[in-house]
Amino acid sequence: MTFGKLIFQNLRYYWRTHLGVMLGAALSTAILTGALLIGDSVSYSLNRQALARLGETQLALVGQDRFFRSKLAGELADKLQTAVAPVLQLNGLLINRDTEKTARSNQVQVLGVDKRFWELADGKPITIDNDQVILNEPLAAQLKVEAGDQVRLRVARPELLSRDAPLSLDRDISIEQRLTIKTIVSEEQFGRFGLQADQVMPMNAWVSLPWLAERVELKEKANMLLVGGEELKNIPLEAAQTALQQCWQLADASLELRQLKQQKILELRSGRIFLEEPIVEAAVKADPSALEVLTYFVNEIRLGERATPYSIVSSLRRPPTPPDATTATAPASTFNQIVPSDMRDDEIIVNQWLADDLQGRVGDSVDLTYFVFGPMRRLQEQTSRFRIRAIIPLTQAAADRELMPDFPGLAQVENCRDWKPGIDIDIGRIRPKDEDYWDLYRGTPKAFISLRTAQKMWANRFGNLTAVRYSLTDGIKDRIEQALKTNLNPAAVGLFFQPVRQRALTASRQAQDMEWIFLGLSFFIIAAALGLMGLLFVFGIEQRHKEIGALLAMGFTRQKVRQLFLLEGIILAGLGALLGIAGSIIYTRLMIYCLSTAWQGAISGARINYHADNISFIIGVAAGLCVAVSAMWITLRRQGRQQVRQLLEGTAELLSLSGRRTPGKARAGYVLAAATAAAALLLLIFTGLGNKQHTAAAFFGAGALLLIAAMALSHGILSQSAGTTDNLLVSLANFAFRNAGRRRGRSLAVIALLACGSFLVFAVGANRRNPLAHAQQRRSGTGGFTLLAESTLPVLHDLNLEEGRRKMGLISPDLALIKVVQMRLRQGDDASCLNLNRPQTPRLLGVQPQELAAREAFDFVKTIEGKPDLNPWLLLKQPQTDHAVPAFADDTTIEWALDKRLGDTLSYINERGRTFNVRLVGALKNSILQGSLVISEEALMQQYPSEQGYRVFLIDVPPPKTEAVTQAFLRLQGTNRDIGLRVTKTQDRLAALYEMQSTYLTMFQLLGGLGMMLGIAGLALVVLRNVMERRGELAMLRAVGFNKGSLTRLLLYEHWWLVILGLAAGVVAALVAVMPAVRSAGGEIPFASLALILAAMLISGILWVWLAARLATQGPLLDALRHE
Amino acid sequence: MAEAQKLLELVNVFKRYDSPDGTETPEVLKDITLHVGAGESLAVVGASGSGKSTLLNIIGALDHPSRGRVHLDGKDLARLDDKQLSQIRNEQIGFIFQLHHLLGQCTVLENVLVPTLLNQDADARKQLEQRGRRLLARVGLEKRLSYRPGQLSGGERQRVAVVRALINKPKLLLADEPTGSLDAAASENLTLLLVELNLEENVTLIVVTHALKVARCMNRVLELRDGKLVIFA
Repeated sequence: MTFGKLIFQNLRYYWRTHLGVMLGAALSTAILTGALLIGDSVSYSLNRQALARLGETQLALVGQDRFFRSKLAGELADKLQTAVAPVLQLNGLLINRDTEKTARSNQVQVLGVDKRFWELADGKPITIDNDQVILNEPLAAQLKVEAGDQVRLRVARPELLSRDAPLSLDRDISIEQRLTIKTIVSEEQFGRFGLQADQVMPMNAWVSLPWLAERVELKEKANMLLVGGEELKNIPLEAAQTALQQCWQLADASLELRQLKQQKILELRSGRIFLEEPIVEAAVKADPSALEVLTYFVNEIRLGERATPYSIVSSLRRPPTPPDATTATAPASTFNQIVPSDMRDDEIIVNQWLADDLQGRVGDSVDLTYFVFGPMRRLQEQTSRFRIRAIIPLTQAAADRELMPDFPGLAQVENCRDWKPGIDIDIGRIRPKDEDYWDLYRGTPKAFISLRTAQKMWANRFGNLTAVRYSLTDGIKDRIEQALKTNLNPAAVGLFFQPVRQRALTASRQAQDMEWIFLGLSFFIIAAALGLMGLLFVFGIEQRHKEIGALLAMGFTRQKVRQLFLLEGIILAGLGALLGIAGSIIYTRLMIYCLSTAWQGAISGARINYHADNISFIIGVAAGLCVAVSAMWITLRRQGRQQVRQLLEGTAELLSLSGRRTPGKARAGYVLAAATAAAALLLLIFTGLGNKQHTAAAFFGAGALLLIAAMALSHGILSQSAGTTDNLLVSLANFAFRNAGRRRGRSLAVIALLACGSFLVFAVGANRRNPLAHAQQRRSGTGGFTLLAESTLPVLHDLNLEEGRRKMGLISPDLALIKVVQMRLRQGDDASCLNLNRPQTPRLLGVQPQELAAREAFDFVKTIEGKPDLNPWLLLKQPQTDHAVPAFADDTTIEWALDKRLGDTLSYINERGRTFNVRLVGALKNSILQGSLVISEEALMQQYPSEQGYRVFLIDVPPPKTEAVTQAFLRLQGTNRDIGLRVTKTQDRLAALYEMQSTYLTMFQLLGGLGMMLGIAGLALVVLRNVMERRGELAMLRAVGFNKGSLTRLLLYEHWWLVILGLAAGVVAALVAVMPAVRSAGGEIPFASLALILAAMLISGILWVWLAARLATQGPLLDALRHE
Repeated sequence: MAEAQKLLELVNVFKRYDSPDGTETPEVLKDITLHVGAGESLAVVGASGSGKSTLLNIIGALDHPSRGRVHLDGKDLARLDDKQLSQIRNEQIGFIFQLHHLLGQCTVLENVLVPTLLNQDADARKQLEQRGRRLLARVGLEKRLSYRPGQLSGGERQRVAVVRALINKPKLLLADEPTGSLDAAASENLTLLLVELNLEENVTLIVVTHALKVARCMNRVLELRDGKLVIFA
């Protein structure tokens, strides 16, 4: 006989008891490992999706509204010796009119590509003819089309000059084309292509790049470059950026160096009309004596009663020459002839034509009236007064018609009566002489002012000059071009690469920690399984008290005996853990199945594939083993304190019960109960009611304290019942109560298990909110708005004004009743709970804070400290010491999607390639703005000046008009004003966002409920064990006249009150804990479903006890009279 | 004792246990016929496994004979259901076991009063409590009323068990090896106590034992031999 053999024999002999222990360990390991495997599967699936959407793309240059030569792709490919694909990416709509009911898709990513794009997909290159389009599967499904069908594609023709810029066109010129579907591509065929980290497939349509570029008048242009390479061939970002620096040309920044031979001038112009600051800096640095030009269109130049309508006014200035400047190529003569160096800010030089028209003389005052552009293209007509300094002849430099930039709607027009600028002009004011001037001199400026004054009046976020001029000399063009390329970082004009692959992998790697979520969701079931295992293990040891006594009598030390039992336990836990591996695979597959079907809301429709990392098995098994062995070790430590004789005689329990005479333990329980209850009360009074932000935490803390108080009270009651010697047995119930105290540990374990379980199930259940309760209130998640709209193409006008609506084609009288808060949108990752990836750069919403402040819209969970009484929305305008941009986000977004806290920052790269930080300064409460960061419109425009118009709209509608207004918006569809507007009821949006939370709550309740079932099975085990141990006692009771019914009743009384006490303690504590949630908007306890769950627990508890009692009293008890 | 009023009557009682594998087992009790009068004391002796306890269980309505009839106070036990048998055990029979089967969680007095829990009459129970106190004082445990069984000696525990058996004023007191777990002194004390109580309470006493010293203290001594009940020689 060896120690090992003894263990083996023990395992074999007690296999029934051990089977339970092993199954307990297996169950806890299966669920624990299963949670890790679910995490693996989600990460793997997201990673696969990330790679599927990028193909072999590693870096991307995303120009958005900036267009560069598509040839740049080939040049970079040569330089980098890798694949570079040019893409023209536009937002568009697709319509299938062939179905009975027109099917349409608004948010379509239209991609002009050539075969280089498909090479990145590691598939066969696809050539798309001019009349063909390729769709991805979800888009085809939405449009209900298949290969060979025809669809209508509509995209807006992009303009180089932002629609928000002064003098830009105020209307979209969109193109519409009927196309035949060449093929429909699957996810594996690059159908998922997209740069945003989102598990939901975008709606993609591919067309021929040359065709699309030509149709939108951007011939040979693209706005996206994809740099790819084989998986293992890493292309450093710096290398790509260096190559770009070497390859880029001025045309890639929409810049042009024009030689004006007649004027002997070399002029730097931009297709975007205004020259941005970095370009101006580089241009001036290229030649410090360059001449800066800002030309503008004015509505009127008036002198007294006489007025000249619609004229061009220029300003010219040579920047101060730095002392070390050696070159001076500026057309000094031109400068000197027109604007003298001592020109004052209020002086104006007019040409002879204007002087004659106004009959003005030197010294007269003239008023310049012009439009400046406010937000939403609100035109503000302003007037500035000038004194005529000089009148110059309309010759030579003063007759330079090239000073006027190519203002859209003006420059290319033959007759000025055909002008169609982006501002309202009164054609009737144009006189024949004005037409003559235009015929003769075109946009030749009629007046000149100082540049400083001009910039004060007309500089905007798109630039402060319209041209930079150099004196035309030999070789100057090449020299300036080279200098510009050297001095200007292409990033400053939006030409920079982003490590999209690295970001995508990071986003999927840092995706929502599903393993932790599932560990959390399964926590109670794991705890219950372990508790069950512990109970079985204890019972196994208690069953072998006499064996322990015998071993001790034979000279085994207590430590040796413990080792023996622990080794048995380790073997059992090990076997259980191995069994748990198989269980974990089944559990994971079951959970994935549920996530794909009933719980789809939890992962927003993402497709999850089973995947297991070996390390997860190792961790799961090791953790399961550790936890199980720890539970056994704790159990063993509590055992074996009895004397050998007691163990051998089996009188250990009798003696242990007699040691409970002192009421100390009961008193301690009562004192602890009173103290924790008082602490709970104090917590509520001093913390919970004092500060609103701490209310939830205080109530939850108070609830938890009450749970502890209930446990302590139970401990006291049980101790008292076990220790009392004063009260006589007066009834069966009284007797049963006394009996419950005899195994205080077990009874308490049952109460604790049920109390914790019901606390969790109830607390979680009570957190179920009705997201639509109070939804019409301003402080609710809808902000009190009725509709939420998002457009594919930007809205340039103020929809609150009839004129704005008219320009958008919204002419329904119902729309006169609406009030709209318009928001700008900078596309980025969806940071709502609907995205499982970790958003790297969430999309930004630019809002005018005062608009929401005035409405006191939405509620905040928390904000960083601002000025007292400051409306939280105004925090968005409060400057940060580190120049970070203050931002709000939904509380859920901050906590779950971003894993951030208030005060944390996120890094963004702005339009000019510079990094800036966005600081979270407020957490919105369950709002429809979830998924985006909200910043001030001003900040958004500073960082992304090219962003045009508004794309997100919060709309106030009188409730009866909701449907009429929605229909009025939707009537735009299919018209030439179709901007791809999606109108959603805010309540629907809120409900959709809440679905995930609701699904998680369901999952928690279900898994918690399963845990409770295990807990109740534990209760049944306790009852059975109690009964089996007391067979002698029960037999005696039978002998003294108790019939089976009385015995069953006695056992039921003994255990039912444990069930009821446990459930009641949990529910009462949970009620306190969830009080803030209940009181909050939308919070209302779903009494019916919770009552059902509790009733199920109660009934199953009672049933188990009844079954155990019946079983115990059915068998022959008489033997026990002699063999206790 | 034949003249005494007949309390217990066993007529041609046989007992055979069912074997787990279905095979036939030998009869433990064979054709037992026994009459016991009220107030009588009787000892049944026999070797281990002779069927003493089986006989006692049948007498005490804890088990049924395979054949034959058992009458207690004129009632045929075979005709009674479980509820009625339980009532008889509670009101007319008192049991003392080799192991005391006291409840560790209850005091001495409470243990004694456990059989009274089935009595619905509160006044009666009050009286029974007084009886319990008196009986405990009678057996020398008046100062141990609120002790727990774990705080008592083996002899004391068994005395508590005796009082518990007598609490409902049974007509028949059955003792199964009552001194089996006691030392010689305690054993003698308990035997004396049983005999005294037999007289004082006018309760019929049947003791199953293999201790002759105990058996000889009874009015009659019978022996179970080969399943049959014979007069002890």
